[in-house]
Amino acid sequence: MWLSVWTRAVIAPAARRAYGVWAGAGLVGAMIFGGTGMHPSDLTGLAVGDPGVGVVLALTWLLVFVPVARGLVRADGARYLAALPAPAVWPRLLAGAALVGLQLPWLALWVGGDGARGLAVVGGVTVPIALVAAWRPRPGRRIGARWASGPAALRGVFARALRRRAADALLRGAGIAILAGFFAGLLVRNNELAGRSAAALAAAAIAIVLVGAQIGVRLVLLDAHRSSAWLAASTGISDSARVAALAFAIAAVDLAAAALAVLVVVIAGQFDLATTAWLALAVLASVAGGVLAGTRTLVRAADSPNVATRVVVGAAVTAGLTVLWLGVFGFVGIAGALATSAVLAVRE
Amino acid sequence: MNAAHEPILRVEGLAVRRGGRTIFEDMSLAVAPGEIVGLVGPNGCGKSTMLACIAGVLAPRDGHVRVGGASVWGPRRDRQRARAALGYVPEAADPPPFLRASELWALCAAARGAGMPGEELINRLGLEELRELALERMSLGQRRRACLGAALLGPPSLLVLDEPDNGLDARRTDALEVLLRDHAAAGHACIVASHDAGLLDRIGARVVRLAVRAG
Repeated sequence: MWLSVWTRAVIAPAARRAYGVWAGAGLVGAMIFGGTGMHPSDLTGLAVGDPGVGVVLALTWLLVFVPVARGLVRADGARYLAALPAPAVWPRLLAGAALVGLQLPWLALWVGGDGARGLAVVGGVTVPIALVAAWRPRPGRRIGARWASGPAALRGVFARALRRRAADALLRGAGIAILAGFFAGLLVRNNELAGRSAAALAAAAIAIVLVGAQIGVRLVLLDAHRSSAWLAASTGISDSARVAALAFAIAAVDLAAAALAVLVVVIAGQFDLATTAWLALAVLASVAGGVLAGTRTLVRAADSPNVATRVVVGAAVTAGLTVLWLGVFGFVGIAGALATSAVLAVRE
Repeated sequence: MNAAHEPILRVEGLAVRRGGRTIFEDMSLAVAPGEIVGLVGPNGCGKSTMLACIAGVLAPRDGHVRVGGASVWGPRRDRQRARAALGYVPEAADPPPFLRASELWALCAAARGAGMPGEELINRLGLEELRELALERMSLGQRRRACLGAALLGPPSLLVLDEPDNGLDARRTDALEVLLRDHAAAGHACIVASHDAGLLDRIGARVVRLAVRAG
């Protein structure tokens, strides 16, 4: 009985978290292995043969999976149960099995690509995952807040929301950004592109993969936007200042993720200076469009009961439009993508 | 009526509809300097809704709210002036839960152009122990004290308080009563919604009764 309750308190929530990771990994896997004709063994072979690629791949998975692992390793959901007389070994065995089993996409990649040696790699990477998941950082240094104006204070509120509520989502976003850059670089290199066409393809790939990095963070920002509404209204902070502070926070996060992806794509795709400049321009415009459309979606969805769905759909549609514009018109299509987002945002 | 006798709060013809139901309409009220008004009435009669309209949080369908002569729902400059002159604590006292109390005060101080809580306010409400505590780790009473501290920064000409003694222990309720009486005695005003007739009596509030509207 105790073990059954413990399983529902620890394993079930971790599994629910893992489903999202599986869905994201499935999407990225479909793009990597479906579109390019790659086999898992190509990627695992590359990772084993080139330590740099191997470390980046393992680090990305660590960042993506740590939030799931945290639920299993810390077992915070079972604190009360731990105070009752209970078996000592079984919970540990179950948690260990779940820690490996819930890494299903990672397991599929390595066992499918490298057989028994792949299984050993998964086991090896699980150790640092468990250590990072068990680590509890000490509370940060407390710095007295002092702001010059209401809008500056609101920006400070969003910064605190990111730091205190979105640390996991930011880490996941960093992992996905690395993956986006890696994927875009491979796409460009396999298609032997350079210049503006390489920049357009890489920008489109980054835009679509980064959707996974944006959702969790945007939901946290939306929560902060909603919970500060009465405070802002009663202290005279205008609605436009609130929306501007929200857009500022979204832009800061999206720009950081995009910069990380661009850095990886430039290395993985071996871009020259001119192609890098075109890519930076294309990604900047794509981020600007995403921030405008993303802010509009959050503001409109703020009071909706289906807020999470609307945020996901909004981010996916914006990225889809960017890909469509870039696919049809090439590099100049980025102006169309930006204009579409701007028109939608201004109408709001 | 000359400027000295101009009410701090003037509500005229206020009307609110929510979810297809008229909460109240043609509501008028004035609160003079030095006065405390207590809103009473059964659940659902619109006390909290009225306070939210006065505080600039919920837009009325019709009517005017003026604080210190500036319209809460008027042009931008008027709105700013009116809202800088009021301090509001809603019934739930639920600002962003990840903020610390000191950050909540800093936000309100920045927005209203006021200073941080003075020593007297800190001592009266026992705010020192809350300063570095996250709002989500506070009890309801502690959260309400943190919000009262934020509302009293300035101090504002008008305090708008919804069930201000909810969650407060006897010692803090006594302190709140003294604070409200002193606030009024300094020439400011308060409007308080409460189910606690004893509290309203002890702070010397003029009672305004609201009734639930049919339909």
